[in-house]
Amino acid sequence: MAVFQHITQSVRVLLIALLSVPVFAGLVGVVLPAFGYFPALNAFDFNLGVFKHLFALESIVNMTLLSLLTGLIATALSVASAFLLLSVFYRSSYLNRLQSWLSPLLVLPHAAAAIALLFVLSPSGLLASVVSNAVSVFSSGAENLSNTQNVLPPMWEFPYDRFGISIIVALALKELPFVFLIAVSVLSQPQVKRKFDGYFNSATALGYAPVTVFFKAIFPVVYSQVRLPLLAVLAYATANVEIPLLLGPNNPPTLAVAVVQWFNHVDLSMRFQASAAALLQVVVTLIAIGIWLIGENIIERVQGRFYTNGSRYTGQMFASFVAYSVVASYSLLALSIIISTTLWSVATFWTFPTLLPEGFTLLHWKTTLSALAEPVKNTVLLATFVSAFSVLIATLALEAEALNRQDNKRSEYFNRWVGGVLASTLFLPLLVPGVAFLYGLVWFQLTYFNDAVWLHLFISHLVYVLPYVFISLAVAYRKFEPRYIQVAYGMGKSPWQVFVHIKLPLLFAPLLVAFALGVAISFSQYLPTVLSTGGRIATVTTEAVAAASGSSVRLTAVYVLVQIFMPLVGFVLAWWLPTICFNPMGRYTLLRPRKSKL
Amino acid sequence: MPAQAQQNEVSDQNSVRSPVVQFHAWGGSAQVNGYIQWVSEQVHTQYNITLNHVKLADTSDAVSRVLAEKAAGNDSQGSVNLIWINGENFAAMQRNGLLLEDWVNSLPNFALTNPSRNPAMITDFGIPTHGQEAPWGKASMVFYYNSRFVQQPPLNLPELLRFAKDHVGRFTYPLPNDYLGISFLKYAAIALNEKDRDLLYQPVTKTALAHITQALWRYLDELHPLMYKQGEYMVRQASQLQRLMGTGELLLAFSFTAAEIPSAVNRFDLAESIRTYAMEDGSLANVHFIGITYNTESVTAAKQVVNFLLSPQAQAKKQQLAVWGDDSVLDFSMLSASEKALFKPAAKHTAALDTQKAVPLFAEPHSSWTDALRQAWFLRYGERF
Repeated sequence: MAVFQHITQSVRVLLIALLSVPVFAGLVGVVLPAFGYFPALNAFDFNLGVFKHLFALESIVNMTLLSLLTGLIATALSVASAFLLLSVFYRSSYLNRLQSWLSPLLVLPHAAAAIALLFVLSPSGLLASVVSNAVSVFSSGAENLSNTQNVLPPMWEFPYDRFGISIIVALALKELPFVFLIAVSVLSQPQVKRKFDGYFNSATALGYAPVTVFFKAIFPVVYSQVRLPLLAVLAYATANVEIPLLLGPNNPPTLAVAVVQWFNHVDLSMRFQASAAALLQVVVTLIAIGIWLIGENIIERVQGRFYTNGSRYTGQMFASFVAYSVVASYSLLALSIIISTTLWSVATFWTFPTLLPEGFTLLHWKTTLSALAEPVKNTVLLATFVSAFSVLIATLALEAEALNRQDNKRSEYFNRWVGGVLASTLFLPLLVPGVAFLYGLVWFQLTYFNDAVWLHLFISHLVYVLPYVFISLAVAYRKFEPRYIQVAYGMGKSPWQVFVHIKLPLLFAPLLVAFALGVAISFSQYLPTVLSTGGRIATVTTEAVAAASGSSVRLTAVYVLVQIFMPLVGFVLAWWLPTICFNPMGRYTLLRPRKSKL
Repeated sequence: MPAQAQQNEVSDQNSVRSPVVQFHAWGGSAQVNGYIQWVSEQVHTQYNITLNHVKLADTSDAVSRVLAEKAAGNDSQGSVNLIWINGENFAAMQRNGLLLEDWVNSLPNFALTNPSRNPAMITDFGIPTHGQEAPWGKASMVFYYNSRFVQQPPLNLPELLRFAKDHVGRFTYPLPNDYLGISFLKYAAIALNEKDRDLLYQPVTKTALAHITQALWRYLDELHPLMYKQGEYMVRQASQLQRLMGTGELLLAFSFTAAEIPSAVNRFDLAESIRTYAMEDGSLANVHFIGITYNTESVTAAKQVVNFLLSPQAQAKKQQLAVWGDDSVLDFSMLSASEKALFKPAAKHTAALDTQKAVPLFAEPHSSWTDALRQAWFLRYGERF
């Protein structure tokens, strides 16, 4: 085996280590304190006292249920709407349009989504203003018009409602595009698409309506392929911190928010309780996954009859109705988010319920941009390094896989085993709640390399960026036309020459897209950034979350817009650069992996 | 010792017997530094005193320096003369006998602070100052309301409750983990316990806590259901309170920095109809002080400087938003019309506090009450985050 092959093989193993070591080390770092062992605080005996204390808390049941239910309901809602949308639009020309509308929402950080929702749905927000204006227009004119001068914002539950409905709305809003786009990426794989076209043609010939065909023939196949990413979505939803922190109740909050508050408590002995609660969070996530799997099972059994009942129009009306209303409300919501955030960012005085501010100013932009210079620099620097490193690792690991496929005699068993481990390791950081392992990781980092702040930041971002970059690249890499390579080998080129002179130029576009995706993921990280640096390094997202609880709605709006712009710039660059250099296949190649990215 | 005496002689000759006063003060703010620069120019022309601002990064550095001098037996020629302190640093200096004793009452301008009516001028976080430090500036709790919807804002706690009944859901206070939140609890505890107020200025005990919180809980039990979100959700930070005032969801809020309200209006974050005022039953005040060290050589000059710092002229200058914006410690009822006029800003901001009105100031309770009140609140109203 040549040197190059040795390198790629070791990178493949390195990738597994890069993802699993931080997660497992982190878990150990919370398991020990949870059972009463914390040398830094002179605690050396293992016991269950911490858990006893945790479960004695009055609000613990409430917190746990809030985390579990908001996560489950939001995921169920977004999965159901995503598949209903697909069932109605999967063969229509709208599918492409939906895809391009939903893609930007994918890179919108959770924190930005939550803040933007505040602008629209809070009692002084756009929605309430529209309702209030409509009411005064419909009721008798003159006297009411003068009354609008002194109308107070209404009092409704959103945000901070005690049942977490606000959290569910925000999570569902963020998850729907994710679920939808993963499913589309499965549907648009050439072999799958050919097979489904066949199903569709024969089923319509038998008189089945398109929606019914989708649910009876296509859905079961697609679902089984997107199951793992969906479970990652569910895990994320039950353990997310930003959204419940910004929109959720605080009497009590969700478990994940409580964990963060306890870890950050000035009283260091709260770390025990925080660690135990972090483990409880893992259990909550596992229970959520368990409930989801049971739900799948039940649906599968019921479906048996559904497949064979011969009904041709099941769900046609219902699905179309729901799909159109989802599209309508989603676009309305997205539009009002953009409008109100933009308006707030340039508003002078703006009194409820007028629909426009009294005047416009660039003051808030000036203030924010001068304060943002340092955070933007940190954010871009970090994201560039993390993402470039991830692309390098992912490319080499994928190359190892490709080389293994070529000479399948050699150590086949070992390679297949590594491949299997790799596939599941990719989802490890996405399935284990961040609040559970990040704190433990920080503990290790502080114990052993206290001063290497940037290294800690790098590693905790890498854990989240690498899986997405790998998955995004893998689609393009595995679809690579093998005949180019065969011809090159036929001409006596080495694997290294093939890699550098043929694969890299041809894969330039997907490499850039993967890089942009990595940059976007790194931009959006809140918890890993705050934890691994102890607030010593500010990024745009940490500043935005801080600003969201600050005194100025207008400055917050500017932060949200900056948060939306930054990843978009990355994607526009990734889209545009291949049109001016390395452009063997034109833009078209670029579009396809872009659509099928995670 | 002889070398030092020689040096003093030389400097005395150079500056024509101008005494030198070393003023150790935190130097992290350009505005504060600029103001002290102005003070040293004034005392130089008015009293021929050379005031040197030693810019500290951390006040405790100067405290340990004085302590080291005392340990070394330098009891008459200390390098620190004036020191800007409050709270813990004052307690430490007093404990170790590092401050000049009983000099404040001899300052003519100290009477203008009206110490008999404003206990905050002679108590530093629950510790009597015993004339060892003179008040210099203060931050006090002010309330602000939206005058478009509220004609008459509440002027004391009972009126606040009535206000909450008339405007359900339009008032709230931050959780007690927040500085402003715990300050509201302290204000209410002081105002609601008029008779047993001195309990709050001694270290907390179980019985004292039970006694003080009795009236407090009765009040809060009634107030909470009338607050924003029925008191179910309470804001985490002071800034969120101002934000809700800005969007119009609240009609009444409060702050510890009166100057931040007009500046928020200038940035459009608060409506033009916002007005600031102080509660008439009392306003929790956090005062910062100037101490003179025990080993100061030219005590007369040091006292002259402090007396100047307390003059209406210097206090009015300090209070200007463009200069520093730090509240005056003078009681306006003690000032003459011409002195009051010094405090009139060139153009008064409609949202700014009317500084001409005198309001009694509540001193900060003894520092042990902060944690005790907070914990008791969480015990009663649930651990919230």
